[in-house]
Amino acid sequence: MSKLLEIDQFTLHFPGRGALLNEVSLHVDDGEAVALVGESGSGKSLTTRAALGLFPETSRLSGSVKVQGLDTTSAPAAKLLQLRRNRASMIFQDPRAGINPVRTVGDFLTETLVRWRGLSREESVERAITQLEQVGLRRTKEMMRQYPHQLSGGMLQRVMIAAALLDSPELLLCDEPTTALDVTTQAGILELLREQQQARAMGMLFITHDLNLAASLCDRVYVLRKGEVVEHGAACDVFLSPQADYTRQLVGATPRIELDKVPTAPAADGTMPLLSVKGLGRRYELPGGEMLTALNDATFTLAPGGSLGVVGESGSGKSTLARMIVALETADEGELAINGRVRAPRPLRARERKLLAKDVQIVFQDPYLSLDPRIAVGKAVADVFRLHQGQGRADAVQSARELLERVGIGPERFESKPRALSGGQRQRVAIAKALAARPKLLVLDEATSALDVSVQAQVLELVEEVREQLGLTILFVTHDLAVVSRLCAELLVLQQGQIVEQGPTAKILSAPTSDYTRTLLDSRPRALWEEQPA
Amino acid sequence: MTLTGTLPLLRTHRYGSLLSVTGWVAVTVTLVVVLLSLLAPVLAPYDPDFVDLSSVLGGPSSAHLLGTDALGRDMLSRLMFGGRTSLVGPLIVVAASTVLGLLLGLAAGWTDGWISRILTRVFDLLFAFPALLLAMLAIAIFGKGLIAPILAMTISYIPYVARLTQQLVVAERSRPYVQAYRVLGFRTPWVVLGRVMPNLVPTVGAQSTLNFGYVLADLAALSFIGLGIQPPTSDWGAMIEEARGALLGGHVLPAFLPALVVVLIVVSINVIGEELSDRIGGKLS
Repeated sequence: MSKLLEIDQFTLHFPGRGALLNEVSLHVDDGEAVALVGESGSGKSLTTRAALGLFPETSRLSGSVKVQGLDTTSAPAAKLLQLRRNRASMIFQDPRAGINPVRTVGDFLTETLVRWRGLSREESVERAITQLEQVGLRRTKEMMRQYPHQLSGGMLQRVMIAAALLDSPELLLCDEPTTALDVTTQAGILELLREQQQARAMGMLFITHDLNLAASLCDRVYVLRKGEVVEHGAACDVFLSPQADYTRQLVGATPRIELDKVPTAPAADGTMPLLSVKGLGRRYELPGGEMLTALNDATFTLAPGGSLGVVGESGSGKSTLARMIVALETADEGELAINGRVRAPRPLRARERKLLAKDVQIVFQDPYLSLDPRIAVGKAVADVFRLHQGQGRADAVQSARELLERVGIGPERFESKPRALSGGQRQRVAIAKALAARPKLLVLDEATSALDVSVQAQVLELVEEVREQLGLTILFVTHDLAVVSRLCAELLVLQQGQIVEQGPTAKILSAPTSDYTRTLLDSRPRALWEEQPA
Repeated sequence: MTLTGTLPLLRTHRYGSLLSVTGWVAVTVTLVVVLLSLLAPVLAPYDPDFVDLSSVLGGPSSAHLLGTDALGRDMLSRLMFGGRTSLVGPLIVVAASTVLGLLLGLAAGWTDGWISRILTRVFDLLFAFPALLLAMLAIAIFGKGLIAPILAMTISYIPYVARLTQQLVVAERSRPYVQAYRVLGFRTPWVVLGRVMPNLVPTVGAQSTLNFGYVLADLAALSFIGLGIQPPTSDWGAMIEEARGALLGGHVLPAFLPALVVVLIVVSINVIGEELSDRIGGKLS
């Protein structure tokens, strides 16, 4: 078998700094699907870009990166252009970033055909339409005249795949192509990629941070860590009996649904629910004057000490619900009561907000934006103690120090600004800040979805720990059923603003009653060696 | 916010340093000019207003390093003392417009209702008025001198600061960290003035640095057309105006030197302002 892509002892570094890639060796054969798995900063994107001869400026290279024998580290620009035009294509994570927003899909697809293939306008349009149909899109003639913003993320990613396939490439490089998509959309894209890869016998290098994804698509896997390949081999060997410590840790941290590990709700003892939501609804006016129902007639209760997972895809209203609970938004209809106090249906006054703060706190998704960039983490937490516990400066600093240590931030970090912390550490500080108000209910809005899997596992552990120790009630908003299954005894599934299913997590996961929940469950990527759903 | 662009060939950033080589040259030029102006009473070789009709329009010599003007006054001394008036005006304007612009911008950006709408319209209105026109209007009402132009310039430069602040605040208040402050129950004035405003100061400061250059040029222009500083007080703009007659007689230096100083300082400050806002913009994103 010939080697389609062969990377040999490839090292990339910047003068004066350490190597970003260190003697990476990997290969992709003709018609083979290979996964490159790693967390952020592991160098997986750099490796893929190298295959197209795209190197960061001022970087120093050694070793070789050969595509069908052409070494991209030394090839002349003209040869590289030819490679990118005819033999290798790439699909990126964010389809919207890769397409000109002011030109139509048709312009985008036909441009290269007209310019580089010398096809006539009509031929190009025909080719483009055929290609769009091949990637499973419908109403393709109309779509050719549409603009990117008129398409959903999933549709646009299909357009990008169509564009990549137009060149009939022998090598397809996929850089986290489904990370920005909903799980049901992701399932469709993965199937399309698998189908096209097999039908065309393309070589594919699939980059992902998600082991499940890699296993569902690829025969062989390379695990990359800090610029070094720590393990490689057949996918099922690597995942079922990992050799390297890091791979073992990664496999262990990857969330999966294990029904016997789902927490169970404490028996209902008739106490007043901590959170009670009745017929809650929220509508937005769209620019055209149309009304969008973000949440409709939501009714549920959450007992003190309980843990509720709110699961849904983008646009399901799950974040709107979270924001209404912490009064960042006001409900249009329905009733919301926390601790028996019914919320007034208007923006809160300063005094009411301060009272509410002692009942409920929230941790947001993005660890890079959730902390004030200018304030040292110790001071940030101490400020909350001063406001809510009425402590003096010295006491507040002492309390902050203890709390931060409890969430795993050592005293040496006390004076650090957020930018000096990693994503996981920032999220720990955000949790500490919320806990400093001593709330009864903690809302976590996708609080771990921006983190690497191993970091996510640690932060989830922390949440579990403080929940038990402090007797906190948790409301966890997420798109990830596996995360919820570990943390939440109860589950609520949202679809386009409607609650489609609610009840004990174990029951819903083992025997879902709504079609949508079943679709969500089935859309989770499954390893190739596991039984595929019928 | 569009800012005027520097030439691409002036961009010679080196990794890690705050400013490029060009930037440091600009800082040096600015510092030298400011220091010479500040220390004029000590360093200047002559009284700037001392008239010596025996050495009228003399070229550079050992007695007068940069020559003399039509009244035989020492050019170097006049330039140094002129800097004091020429730099003080912009300094007051920039300080006042920054403080007021920040506060108005915060008010316009934080609120959603009628306050925000009215302020935004006022900014628009002020933008429509050229600063120089407003200054002339103020001079017509309050009379010539330094006070009227400074007042008018301050008012016309407020919207530059205020609108930038408003845009920044609108972006900032939807950030999770600001929302976290709200959920934590901190009071709005504390959040806005104590936490959000300090985060905007670097960006707004860069804009104000740019403004300094424009104000200086504007005030010099006012003096040049005889509406600003009145003779015999030395001022760069006024010096150019006074040297017009000499220029027609073929004596270039008396007009050229103050013009050169104005250009040097305005370009330098622009370069510094540009680079600062570039650096800060890069760091924030």
